[in-house]
Amino acid sequence: MDNIAGSKSSLTWAVNLSVLVLVLLWLFPTVGLLVSSFRTSDQIATSGWWASLSSQERQNSAIRVAGEEVIVADGFEIRGSLFESAEVTVSKWGTSSRAPEAFDPDDVAELKNDWTLTVDGQGAFVMTSPTTLEGERLPRVFTTATAPPEWTIENYENILLDPKNSGGMAKAFFNTLTVTIPATIIPILVAAFAAYALAWMDFPGRALLIAAVVGLLVVPLQLALIPLLKFHNEIGIGKGYLGVWLAHTGFGLPLAIYLLRNYMVGLPRDIIENAKVDGATDFQIFTKIILPLSFPALASFAIFQFLWTWNDLLVALVFLIDATGDTTVMTKQIVELLGSKGGNWEILATAAFISIAVPLCVFFLMQKYLVRGLLAGSVK
Amino acid sequence: MKLSLYAGVATMALAAGMSHAAGHLDGQTITVAGPWLSPEAETIAEIFDIFAEQTGATVKYTGSDSLEQQVLIDAEAGSSANITVFPQPGLAADMASRGFLTPLADDTADWIRENYAAGQSWVDLGTYADQTGADNLYGMFFRVDLKSLVWYSPENFEDAGYDIPESMEDLKALSDQIVADGGTPWCIGLGSGGATGWPATDWVEDLMLRTQSPAVYDQWVSNEIPFTDPAVVAAIKEFGAFARNDAYVSGGAGAVASTDFRDSPKGLFSSPPQCYMHRQASFIPAFFPEGTEVGTDADFFYFPAYADKDLGSPVLGAGTLFAITNPSDAAQELVAFLRDPAAHEVWMQAGGFLTPHKGVDSAKFSSDTARRMNDILLNATTFRFDASDLMPGGVGAGSFWTGMVDYAGGKDAGEVASGIQDSWDALK
Repeated sequence: MDNIAGSKSSLTWAVNLSVLVLVLLWLFPTVGLLVSSFRTSDQIATSGWWASLSSQERQNSAIRVAGEEVIVADGFEIRGSLFESAEVTVSKWGTSSRAPEAFDPDDVAELKNDWTLTVDGQGAFVMTSPTTLEGERLPRVFTTATAPPEWTIENYENILLDPKNSGGMAKAFFNTLTVTIPATIIPILVAAFAAYALAWMDFPGRALLIAAVVGLLVVPLQLALIPLLKFHNEIGIGKGYLGVWLAHTGFGLPLAIYLLRNYMVGLPRDIIENAKVDGATDFQIFTKIILPLSFPALASFAIFQFLWTWNDLLVALVFLIDATGDTTVMTKQIVELLGSKGGNWEILATAAFISIAVPLCVFFLMQKYLVRGLLAGSVK
Repeated sequence: MKLSLYAGVATMALAAGMSHAAGHLDGQTITVAGPWLSPEAETIAEIFDIFAEQTGATVKYTGSDSLEQQVLIDAEAGSSANITVFPQPGLAADMASRGFLTPLADDTADWIRENYAAGQSWVDLGTYADQTGADNLYGMFFRVDLKSLVWYSPENFEDAGYDIPESMEDLKALSDQIVADGGTPWCIGLGSGGATGWPATDWVEDLMLRTQSPAVYDQWVSNEIPFTDPAVVAAIKEFGAFARNDAYVSGGAGAVASTDFRDSPKGLFSSPPQCYMHRQASFIPAFFPEGTEVGTDADFFYFPAYADKDLGSPVLGAGTLFAITNPSDAAQELVAFLRDPAAHEVWMQAGGFLTPHKGVDSAKFSSDTARRMNDILLNATTFRFDASDLMPGGVGAGSFWTGMVDYAGGKDAGEVASGIQDSWDALK
């Protein structure tokens, strides 16, 4: 912005600072989600994601002693470790929920039936008994321990590689592409023509038409869902790709026309009048002059529309997904992964990151147009 | 895009190739919409596979977490699945009265009467008035949940020396005892996204059955006695005696409404225990921490009745019902297939499934726990269906839920009750 006429504002630092704060504010929940996607459901339920970033001392839930028993001189013995990781440090332990910190590491606890149990600082335990432990309910051990951060890629494996889910995910991915690509291209085609007409062709009622388009911007699409679906059923389209393309096109058009018209109206009048003098038709002006010049606006609307249709669940549920379940889209697939009672948060976090991969690519490839297009019509 | 079309065609061809055994329904497709997602969706698919093998039909199941809205959209637009599995009879009754359901085969009612425990009550729960006001049997119950259960950790009880209470008086005494020992007796969480508040309605219904006769309960469900009746307000206050007592609930009374019901049972297993008891339906072990073994690490007892009230041992339950939303002969056959004990036994083995079917082999239950639950169901002196599921949707899945959240948040019981009654009056 240095080349804009006038002097550089002395408040640049304030702008930079507030941009930084805004960016951090927006990133904060996303980072939390990313961290959560590498944790198990039990970890998510018992501690916040920030707690997983560093070693934490906490009271663990009971872990039941388990292992093969061996015969020793004065009875039977089971040896094993409470933790899979070797880096855990136990500071206190106990065998009763009433006194979970009763013992220090290496203390020997006397239990019922003359059993003894000892746990060392790394969580290794030795349990002895004068009689066989076969078929007995073995004691629980409560520990207060410091554990290093623990991460898992299990969630990603579960969604991408587990044969139960991966087939559905792949199908949903292609279905989503089948929905989003035409649902992005069709409205742009229609809107570009309409915008040119509304910007540069003189006909009676043009101003009213523009006002009507602006008015349509504020009509919530939820209002049209059921009547439109009924209409689709009556004319024989039913639920399917054609229906969802038409729906997305209809719901996207008002903004598309408004955005493109405002951009096109800002193009220099001289070029268009020159072309007219040279004998160009409206169609030639549109394809040879207006379209190439409007590329930033077209690209920015394409990004918007792509992101909306990619993230859309409502329109797909109403117009696309029928009882056969063959036309599931990604968003619906993710909802299904949440499970019957909707408690699988780790899946939600993971699926969210998988599903934003494509929009992120689109965004980074085309972001220069997004910024240019956002300014479309606002700066003259 | 072409690629996806080819992929779609290939998948369909594959699916068609796999499921076709010889049968009289060869080539026919039955679509089923239901509330079950993973992992229940895989079990129900297994059950439908048996049907597909027997008849040659292809069954396509799609689960939805917003089934209540989805079925209405599809019915209005005329694009319903052949069969819809309803989680709430109230919604099915509503659909029937608008002419969206098709009656089941004529002999279904007689079969249910003979083969389901308390058969007549299951017939009554599946019978609704159609557009003209004539009663028909529309719903066949499959899969029942038992609600009157209190979950606990047996070893935590042993460590503290507590016994399982046999009566409501004992249960309250035990709660006081736990408080006196410095513990917290209950974990209660009402959070459930858009359905926040439903766990509290189960509490009120259970307490209603323990303070009033079943006849009064039925009058309450049909609104013959208003929500503001002293009997109902007293049941709400009974719930308040547990949930609004800071010393009784983990996190204090303020945490009840904001704790998610899926997270609340985890307090039983934390160290030190955040609570000792959790009243919830038979499906809740799915939300216990990973590796928890029901029977060893966690167990349940019957939510007891008052010893001095002489109301027997009432049981509260709920269930899902199959109804035909888009008629075809194959759809009728699929509903009739649910009479086969094999359909029930597949899910019994998978776990988390109870059934009133008397003909099933109880040895096929996945665990002793499930068998004990089914025994409670079969031996109940009074079985009543979840009242909120029977009330009109605007109340049972609306103002009753939100009202209970308000009550847990400190609003007066009478005020809450009259608010719910107002919303009911508005629906009439």
